[in-house]
Amino acid sequence: MTRYLAQRAGQAAVVVIGLMILTFIMIHLEPGSAARSTLGVRATPGRIAIFNSTYGLNQPLYRQFLTYIDQVLHGNLGTSYSLQIPVSTLIAQRLPRDLLLLGLSTVLALLIAVPLGIYQAVRRGGVSDHVLTGASFTLYSTPDFLFAILLIALFSVQLHLLPPEAPQASSVGGMLADPRALVLPVATLALVTVASYSRYMRSSAIDVLAQEYIRVARAKGLPQRLILLRHVLRNSLLPVVTLVGLSFSWIVAGAVIAEEVFNYPGMGLLFYQAATTHDFPVLLGSTLVVGVATVIGNLAADVAYGILDPRIRYGRT
Amino acid sequence: MHGKARIRLVRRLAVPAAATVLAVAAAACTGSSSSGAIGSGTAVNGHARHGGTITIGWENATPNFIFPLAPATNSDGYNVNLTDQMWPYLVYSGDGAKSIVNPRESLYTSISYSDGDRKVTIDLKHWNWSDGVPITSRDFTFVYNLLKANVPNWFLYVPGLFPSDVASVSTPSQHTVVLNLTHSYNPTFYTEDVLSTIQLLPQHAWDKTSATGKVGNYDESTAGAKAVYKFLQQQGGQMSTFATSPLWKVVDGPWALSQFTASTGYYTYVPNKHYSGPDKPFLSKVINEPFTTDTAELDELRAGSSLDIGNLPFNDLKQSGVLKSEGYSLASMQVAGVAEIMPNLYNATVGPLLRQLYIRQALEDLIDRPQIVSKVYAGYADPGNGPVPMQASGPWASPLEKSGGPYPYSPSAATALLRAHGWKVSPGGTSTCQHPGTGASDCGAGITAGEPLSLQLAYSSGLTGMAEQNAAIQSSEDQAGVKLTLKSEPFNTLAGTMGNCTAASHPASTCGWQLVDYGYDPYTGLFPAGAGFFNTGGYNNLGGYSSPEMNQLINATEYGSSTQAFFSYEDYAARQLPWLWIPDSDYIFVYRSNLAGFAPLNPFSGSNNTQDWYYTS
Repeated sequence: MTRYLAQRAGQAAVVVIGLMILTFIMIHLEPGSAARSTLGVRATPGRIAIFNSTYGLNQPLYRQFLTYIDQVLHGNLGTSYSLQIPVSTLIAQRLPRDLLLLGLSTVLALLIAVPLGIYQAVRRGGVSDHVLTGASFTLYSTPDFLFAILLIALFSVQLHLLPPEAPQASSVGGMLADPRALVLPVATLALVTVASYSRYMRSSAIDVLAQEYIRVARAKGLPQRLILLRHVLRNSLLPVVTLVGLSFSWIVAGAVIAEEVFNYPGMGLLFYQAATTHDFPVLLGSTLVVGVATVIGNLAADVAYGILDPRIRYGRT
Repeated sequence: MHGKARIRLVRRLAVPAAATVLAVAAAACTGSSSSGAIGSGTAVNGHARHGGTITIGWENATPNFIFPLAPATNSDGYNVNLTDQMWPYLVYSGDGAKSIVNPRESLYTSISYSDGDRKVTIDLKHWNWSDGVPITSRDFTFVYNLLKANVPNWFLYVPGLFPSDVASVSTPSQHTVVLNLTHSYNPTFYTEDVLSTIQLLPQHAWDKTSATGKVGNYDESTAGAKAVYKFLQQQGGQMSTFATSPLWKVVDGPWALSQFTASTGYYTYVPNKHYSGPDKPFLSKVINEPFTTDTAELDELRAGSSLDIGNLPFNDLKQSGVLKSEGYSLASMQVAGVAEIMPNLYNATVGPLLRQLYIRQALEDLIDRPQIVSKVYAGYADPGNGPVPMQASGPWASPLEKSGGPYPYSPSAATALLRAHGWKVSPGGTSTCQHPGTGASDCGAGITAGEPLSLQLAYSSGLTGMAEQNAAIQSSEDQAGVKLTLKSEPFNTLAGTMGNCTAASHPASTCGWQLVDYGYDPYTGLFPAGAGFFNTGGYNNLGGYSSPEMNQLINATEYGSSTQAFFSYEDYAARQLPWLWIPDSDYIFVYRSNLAGFAPLNPFSGSNNTQDWYYTS
């Protein structure tokens, strides 16, 4: 296992470096000037020259890249052109916010979707299955911004029960201390995710329920509850684990809409705004974070496979 | 709320955010009754109450620099909002909704011009810094010395103006500063547009080169001034110490920073107990809370939260009834700027078309400005009759502009103009040049036979009002066969891809744009000077317009002092159409109904004169 993990870590490093090179080239191929984009249309040639000199943009592209890689290796991700804040500071400020919000919503979604999927598989073709399937499709096809607006309109504006803003504290502890403010954004993100996860879980559970070992377990008189918990749940989880592993990158930067609507500036908004302002250091820093998250997510999923299915043993031929 | 109007160079970046407020709902287009409910603000009855906290919502606002002289690379317009409450300008612009200098709030007792307007004598008020030290002329020379040694790296620097236009500075007394200028200036221009951008800074506390070093007179040498500037700029970007650094504790404005959260941009002020100015703050605390969007801000207001002031997007005007039931009032603020569609006279494809004055005139004839004001902006916009706003410009709108400008909406006039210059006009289709050539009845130089009158108009995306306005313009231009293709892009993308285009730069890669609507351009101060906008090579003259007569007329407004000279420039610009004039929409604000002093809104302080606000009992 250790050898396998080391190999995957090596592959991950290559993937992340390749991603950085690709991103660096692509963002520099984008038409337009970072200086003008940042300083505005009234920037004088003098200011543009200072800007380009300050950020090394007057250097050849290969030299800019080498300088950037050197900085990254020394733990320096550069400084945001538009926000004038070190990128590492921005990530340190924003990432925990998204990990909290999207992490909570993912956990909540799993807690609902997994039993829901199994329930639907067991009741396949029944009224409850049809109703829940319809509800899932409705949730899945509804944009999250609409959920957000509807929930705010109902619970904040009409009923005055919950605040329309996510927590505004700067620390995770501070945000957790304001649980009422977490309800609407977490619920918004969880609703869409529940619909997706529950569909996967249902399909997977239907497959498992048709397996011979389930029939054997039933023939041996094992109670339905134990069959579901010991055999169906564990074996049905594999596709969902893959899904969760792949969604790690979404967990760190995927909540642009929720961040906008709930006044919760996180990585998603940072990435989006950087993309529209030619803010190269932030774009590269965010790409690095997303790349690392993707690699970690997939690695975690692989490890989880081994735990869930003892037949899978990595590092053995 | 939004960034302030007084930023000379960087406010452009705040335009799309600001313009978000100006978006308009279809309901407003039908003449929503809500429009009539908004005024410029009404007096609030009741006794002034000392104390209380106010929370102001700011859209997408994260100040990141506290030293008032920000570097050239910093374009965050919200830094001004953060700093000018603590370090006010030498000349305070605006008094309520009046576009005049406000001597009460200003730091001078008198400003006089002599020696043919080459010598400026400024007498300072006997005010004190918050640590009790008097504000003196040395504080002015400190600012001057820092800027003189570092001028390219000052974000507000306009080539040729302060401090480059100062030959020498002397301080005959503790409270008197004398500037000897390199040439004569129009005193109105210099006071209202140049001195209004200068803040005094505490030499006795900031003239140092390190945090632990002693205060000296380092600024008096160029090397010393560079070192001090470098140190202060480095400290000015340390967001975690904004509220704690001893440097920033020394203020002369009505407020002092009490909290700043770097990760969110949330910050609070408490009164400067030693403020020497006339209007001591009533409130005990001002909270500035950033919002990602105006929608999030509006949700907070509608939920009856602790938010006391926010902005209302035009497309949410219909929410005014709900907001009033939650205890809010609404007020509009006129904008001291000019809204325009910029033509690129040196675009490789359509430059020859746009260089023809008659074509620009036809384009302007086809813009139905009054209808845009009433239908798109529900009446809350300056008509845009020329380069000077009618409502927020004080006395500077000429009789021609007041009468509706030189080009009132007239499709027939546009059609006649085009036909008179050899065009086959095809209403609803695309007009084409029938008579190429340079004669009086020909299409003009560089325009070929059969060339279509087809143009692309780019504008900032995501702004409902701007999109509706440009759709209306596209429709009305169609009446004379002018084919406008609309293209929307994020503001920063537009800014990044559209450079200054002149005959010399042609055909640069950043000159592919044809017509562009960025939003509006704020004037620097009370005096709506045309320098930088329409003079040859002006920093904001992106389309390459160049006219010796225009240059001469602009110079006459800056270096002379005749109102008639200003009107001559203004009318010439209005007729020449270096830009196409379009309406400039107002801002709509929501505020607690028992908050007095907020309205009427000052266009020049960005409605940020919190020292005048108080709750009524």
